[in-house]
Amino acid sequence: MLSSSSSLAPKFRRRASALALLMAVAALAPGHASPRSNWAIDPSRTHISFSIDAIGYPRTQGEFRRFDGRLSVDFDHPAQSRVSFRVQSQSVDVGSASFSDYLRSDAFLNASHFSEIVFSSTAVEKIDENDIRVTGDLTMLGVTRPLTVDVEVRRPDARSRARLEFTARAKIDRLEFGMNSGFPVISKDVDLVVASEAEEQ
Amino acid sequence: MRRDSASALRAAKAAPRRWSAATIALHWLSAALILGLIGLGWFMVHGDIDAATKFDLYQLHKSLGFLGLALLLLRLGARLVQASPPAPPAMPPWEHRLAGLAHAGFYGLLLAASLTGWLLVSAAVIAIPTRFFDLFVIPNLLPSLTRADASLSAAMAFWHYVIARLILGLLVLHVAAALKHHFVDRNDVLTRMLPWPTRLRAAPSNRREDRLERNKVGPPSY
Repeated sequence: MLSSSSSLAPKFRRRASALALLMAVAALAPGHASPRSNWAIDPSRTHISFSIDAIGYPRTQGEFRRFDGRLSVDFDHPAQSRVSFRVQSQSVDVGSASFSDYLRSDAFLNASHFSEIVFSSTAVEKIDENDIRVTGDLTMLGVTRPLTVDVEVRRPDARSRARLEFTARAKIDRLEFGMNSGFPVISKDVDLVVASEAEEQ
Repeated sequence: MRRDSASALRAAKAAPRRWSAATIALHWLSAALILGLIGLGWFMVHGDIDAATKFDLYQLHKSLGFLGLALLLLRLGARLVQASPPAPPAMPPWEHRLAGLAHAGFYGLLLAASLTGWLLVSAAVIAIPTRFFDLFVIPNLLPSLTRADASLSAAMAFWHYVIARLILGLLVLHVAAALKHHFVDRNDVLTRMLPWPTRLRAAPSNRREDRLERNKVGPPSY
């Protein structure tokens, strides 16, 4: 018994190491098993909306119509993921041309001087299967402040291309950016909701 | 009394019996504008509407309000340079005085409504520029004195509301008086302000004592 098993041993070891090498190669190969993937948001399926309260006035809800967003996702190491958004301040739309114009003026977005609102992540933390927390820098009116965004991610299956659906929520204190027109009649808190779909590049 | 009637007759020859077409047009345009502004003012404040619609209605109210102020100044000017058609000879002096008071009240209240409205937006904490029908920006009233004064703006908003109510009250009196002239006194006070052509009534009044009065002082009828 003993002699026969010892004669088999070298052969078995060689096979085992070959299998391990195969697995390692598969893990490094591009494609499904790749740890990092690049995604671009689909503008037609993305809504960057905000709302703000004021005393004696209905809640103002609006959207930014022009923007660009990129994601770099590492599913194995979520903390390595990155996200960035660039929003054109000129594209603000609250459903009334003159109201939108007023928001573009120097009282609020000062769109002629500060054409972009930019967010880029500094840290990504996975909370559970579907929820992540993104911390980053928001630059608005030339001022950069940290912002924490709660993101709910879903991966719809039965799609021809790989897609990620996510809803991001954050509260922005506009006073931090020097946007203090109408305060305190107009609230300092702006609720931000980004509902989006990203497509793998 | 005799002298009054005589001078009224002379005035009737000197002045036209009808208001000028321009005055009639301005009167009815102003009437529509004032009613529209009061209705719009109520709806934009109390109506169940979203933020964007509310914003647009406030801007419309401001534009229409400034249009109203322009028409008011035009009408005040016309009133000063144009001869008014004479009052019906049979109109008692107290009625004449009351009519004068009511019309002056209209001009005063409409001017006050315009100025309180202009002041309240000038002093508003949320400084939204007044774009007259999106054509040009109307400057704030006394910009140095009224930059974001919440208490002044609130006081003006209160008076703007009270004045709108007073205008409505005066409007009821104005319409009641016009109807009384037409259906009770049977004179042409109402018809001479109508926007369509009408045959003016020959007889100033058909009341019995007026007829007796006319028979006493009027020229022989043969």
